[in-house]
Amino acid sequence: MDPETTPTHNTLPFRAADFSNLAEALDYAAQGETGCNFYTGRGEVYAVLSYAKLRREAQALARRFLGLGLERGARVALIADTHPDFLRFFFACQYAGLVPVPLPIPISLGGHGAYVAHLHSMLRSCNAAVGISTAGFLPYLEEAAEGLAMSFVGDPVDFENFPEAQESFAPLQAAELAYIQYTSGSTRFPRGVMITQETVLSNLAGIIRHGLKMGPGDRFVSWLPFYHDMGFVGLVLVPVTSQVSVDYLGTREFAMRPRQWLSLMSKTKATISFGPPFGYELVERCIRAGEASKLDLSTWRIAGVGAEMIRSEPLLRFAKALEPSGFDPKAFLACYGMAECSLAVSFAPLDKGLEVDRIDADHLAKCHEARQVPGGNNEDLSPRTRSFVVCGRPIPGFEVEIRDEQGNALPERHSGTIFLRGPSVMSGYFNETEITSRTLCGDGWLNTGDIGYLLDGQLVITGREKDLIIINGRNIWPQDLEYLAEQQPEVRTGDALAFSAPGPSGEETTVMVVQCRKKDPAVQACLVNRLKQRVRSELGIDCYVELVPLHTLPRTSSGKLSRSKARQNFIEAHVWDAQPAVAGDQ
Amino acid sequence: MKRYQEILDALYEVLTPFANEANKQLSEETELVADLDIDSVRLLELLMEIEDHMDISIPLNVLPDINTVRDLAVSLQELSE
Repeated sequence: MDPETTPTHNTLPFRAADFSNLAEALDYAAQGETGCNFYTGRGEVYAVLSYAKLRREAQALARRFLGLGLERGARVALIADTHPDFLRFFFACQYAGLVPVPLPIPISLGGHGAYVAHLHSMLRSCNAAVGISTAGFLPYLEEAAEGLAMSFVGDPVDFENFPEAQESFAPLQAAELAYIQYTSGSTRFPRGVMITQETVLSNLAGIIRHGLKMGPGDRFVSWLPFYHDMGFVGLVLVPVTSQVSVDYLGTREFAMRPRQWLSLMSKTKATISFGPPFGYELVERCIRAGEASKLDLSTWRIAGVGAEMIRSEPLLRFAKALEPSGFDPKAFLACYGMAECSLAVSFAPLDKGLEVDRIDADHLAKCHEARQVPGGNNEDLSPRTRSFVVCGRPIPGFEVEIRDEQGNALPERHSGTIFLRGPSVMSGYFNETEITSRTLCGDGWLNTGDIGYLLDGQLVITGREKDLIIINGRNIWPQDLEYLAEQQPEVRTGDALAFSAPGPSGEETTVMVVQCRKKDPAVQACLVNRLKQRVRSELGIDCYVELVPLHTLPRTSSGKLSRSKARQNFIEAHVWDAQPAVAGDQ
Repeated sequence: MKRYQEILDALYEVLTPFANEANKQLSEETELVADLDIDSVRLLELLMEIEDHMDISIPLNVLPDINTVRDLAVSLQELSE
């Protein structure tokens, strides 16, 4: 028999994150009956954590933290497994005046060394005083903490042995940090985004009030990892600060049994869920004939899509497959955001579904102008087109500018780098003044690095951050791939460039171009295979490796290696892009 | 507790399609990533097959230490204890 889950309808008047800090938001939610529920991969509830219980337990843990005598604002690293302990410790930090730092869990075979090195670099970067992990991942955390001066590294059970201090705690206040979020998967260049209480609460209010227009009766389902900005800010902090119940499925459980997402939505009659496009694709691929009619997805009012470039075709296939369940394609909500802006920047209008802008691709590449191409059927005469999903207007408070390379603001339909300013923007990267000053200009404008244009005030993203590779919702840093190549005896520093390019059917594919000194085809084949294997075991992704002769990697005018030119050369030279990635042409 | 050999045999059965596709012979020394081309998406398919086949649950925290077929068999044996 399942334990009773928290109700959808609350006894408490709805408030949209109008609190001065996260502890206060939980204090309020704890007066109601809602909370979070955790499900196994087979759809059974294994833990129910009402916000009232979460508050009680987080406060007891906060008193134990006080006993450790840490300085205010000290960093507490938390391995962010989808588990009630993560929420307890996260909010314990809020009450105790400590800054939580969610850290990722590993997802690939045989990556022990790489995972520990990654954890170590983040622990060192944020100068963590405490590290907490559930027992399963503790050995990795302990190994990662070697050589670092930390007050405590252990699991929640060890931590519970500390006595509760008698003094009262002072929660983190509006201008203090709420958390530090590591954005990149890069082992060598960890970047911890600093978000204050007022910053995240401003973003949460924008999401709840404007992006999702939430109210009593809403309920969330999420399988997104707690260490990812969308999973954590969007599907942990939004529910708490809007006093709404949420049902959690582990990310691994979802990936193994994607249909569980739908079963859970159907069972709990949830109204809101989010995923990257590949999550929807995964479900669509494994849904069986006749299955959709057994589900009731008619209450699903927002199917949020974000975290990577959105192609509409797979999403429309998802909607088609689920038509018998009552799923409404108008529920799709395209959005754009990043950890540097807490989470959300813009949402498409609600109840409209996906809106696609069809433009002349050649004209965009040549003149950086997104000229609309009317949808027609005389394809012989039509120019090469691309379709982009429109990501909506920024939530109130954000200013947007599209700038050219010289920093001039561009008019509508002209593509350039997206700059943002507003109350949800980060304070900077922790302990990284140089990278911070390159990303955040003195006057508060954030250089997102993403490329896009404005269409009647709505954002259209044409390329995510130039160098970043996003595969199945994961950020992959080209430097990490290039480093793997440079460790091979045949390859020297500066011989490899990695980037992403559209694959045969338009999906993002990882490519690495490597300069090779050896001419022997057998030696070359051996190097290619070894590189592919190394990439797969370290990063868990497939990579297309191409060897080129020495001195052929492109450089910028100042002599630096140029990833963007290498990418452009590669795309132009490969037949598979002769059919350009086209989204949404129905 | 299942015997090691039983687990190994069951594992060979689950892995045969992967081995055929990669054109490799299976042995205890076979490396899952390097020899059988198992990336993170295929890994999850494999885990699900093993879980359904052997009726056990494989936690994520054991994965970083699994390189070969033997590593996987040993860890499945420990999990079935």
